[in-house]
Amino acid sequence: MSPLNPDTSLSRICATKRTTIYRDMVLMAAGFLALIPLLAMHRVTDFMIFCIFVMSFDLLYGYMGRLSFGQMLYLGTGVYVSTLFSLHFNPNPILSLMAGVVGGAIVAGILGLIVVGLEGASFALTNLAFNQVGFFLIGSAFQKVTQGEDGISAGVEPWGFLDLANEHVAFGFVLLCLLFTFYMLRILTSSPYGIIIRSIKENETRVKFLGYNTFFYKWLTFVLAGAFAALAGTLYTLYVGFVSPVFIHPMNNVDVIFAALIGGAGNLFGAIIGGVLFMAMKDTLSTHIPQWEWILGLLLLVIVFWLRGGVTGLIKSLRDFLRARMSRGPVAEVKKG
Amino acid sequence: MLYVDGINAGYGRALVLHDVSLKLKEGEMAFIVGRNGAGKTTLLKTICGLMKPSRGSITYRGENTRGVAPEKLARRGVRFVAQDKKVFSNLTVRSNIELAAYAAGEDMPAAIKKVTSIYPDLQRFMDNKAGGLSGGQREILLIGRALVGNPRLFLIDEPTEGLAAIVIEDIFRILSRMKQDNVSALIVEQNLSVVSRLADRIFIMKEGKIIREISEKSEMAETSALESYL
Repeated sequence: MSPLNPDTSLSRICATKRTTIYRDMVLMAAGFLALIPLLAMHRVTDFMIFCIFVMSFDLLYGYMGRLSFGQMLYLGTGVYVSTLFSLHFNPNPILSLMAGVVGGAIVAGILGLIVVGLEGASFALTNLAFNQVGFFLIGSAFQKVTQGEDGISAGVEPWGFLDLANEHVAFGFVLLCLLFTFYMLRILTSSPYGIIIRSIKENETRVKFLGYNTFFYKWLTFVLAGAFAALAGTLYTLYVGFVSPVFIHPMNNVDVIFAALIGGAGNLFGAIIGGVLFMAMKDTLSTHIPQWEWILGLLLLVIVFWLRGGVTGLIKSLRDFLRARMSRGPVAEVKKG
Repeated sequence: MLYVDGINAGYGRALVLHDVSLKLKEGEMAFIVGRNGAGKTTLLKTICGLMKPSRGSITYRGENTRGVAPEKLARRGVRFVAQDKKVFSNLTVRSNIELAAYAAGEDMPAAIKKVTSIYPDLQRFMDNKAGGLSGGQREILLIGRALVGNPRLFLIDEPTEGLAAIVIEDIFRILSRMKQDNVSALIVEQNLSVVSRLADRIFIMKEGKIIREISEKSEMAETSALESYL
């Protein structure tokens, strides 16, 4: 007996309101296009790459309830594998991208076997430890290959129309990758797989009582999160063209955690909104305030104490409040009459 | 169906079960009664694979299942309904059932029919968050969810605990129907009215041991005699 019946899974996926997903994708694309006049196009492209990274983290944390302090490892793996692939094997951007994603998935697949059996602080800190090891390997141990702190230029060359040095092409390509990530994660999280990982977040033992091999689902989620984080990493390689250990630095995990919390974890829109708001704040605050990080710290306190659901949670609460008020309105009038 | 032979089990060094043995026949509904701390829940947890006995053996349908993981036992038809009435509260009632249906490879309409057949009122709450259900409705959802697929052995821990009298009657009705369908079940229960009306066999536990086994209907009917063990 299969723990996940393929027929019912398929019917569930087919039953998902695809039109709603397409509508959301159009709205999202329009939203990013609308940002271009406000910011520079290259900044919006940066924002979109970061949003892919936040979505990858949200799959692990928001949907499955596993807080990792080491997601930068997979972004960094994507960055370095695609860079080295373009330099030593093939300069084709698509092949480099695929190599980066596969590299991230393989590293996540191997380390996932070790970490997904852990929970809570052990899970978070073991991931951080692996991230630290990765940072050391890239920055010091493999310095001859990676050029260490000096960084290394990618060897990606234009392929047909796909010239990522062109700002417009890069924007369009990254937008497509963002929409692809959103679509895939929406389909996955609304499928039986999504129900299973959300149930694991709530009570893993009870999921086992139903007959599920929870280790497999946790591992699969870890690999998918690693692969999408690596996708974000490869896009940095293709777009920026120059990489350094900053792309794998463990301290940068704070950014993705902040962004997910600001937007609201366990919600792909939350990941997008959080990613955009975090990047916008970072840009604005760092321009005007020298030690701007303390403001982020205060914001985190506000979120933890008053806005657990982040911006999307706030929007939902307001919507529920207005609905409740509107539904009470006519009753009150009738009573008055 | 189930043969527990001389098991010892506990938490760390603290031994809770001492040389516990019992037999459950196919189609039999047996109850375990005893005071708090007698080891009733620990016994169910050990049979369902959540705890590994330090001694003894557990044979389920001819296979030694000592130390077999809960998910593997679930796939072999063992259904454990825990005492705390915890459903997946952030999922809808429908998704709670879906989760069981996917695991069992059963299609959704059949799974929903199975659950609503024991308690039609649940149909009204299908798209509500399961966390909003009352304690009794949660228990019914948990039992209904356990019926999905091809269950062979039910391990149910205190299904009527903390419930209002009217809901206890609902639970009794559901268990009666299961009994009519000849399901095999081992149920921990303190409500002697429910026990005496449904039991084919009663195991009385005290201080981690089964001190008495009752299979005579006349003895079971004497609830006052049973009360002395609670």
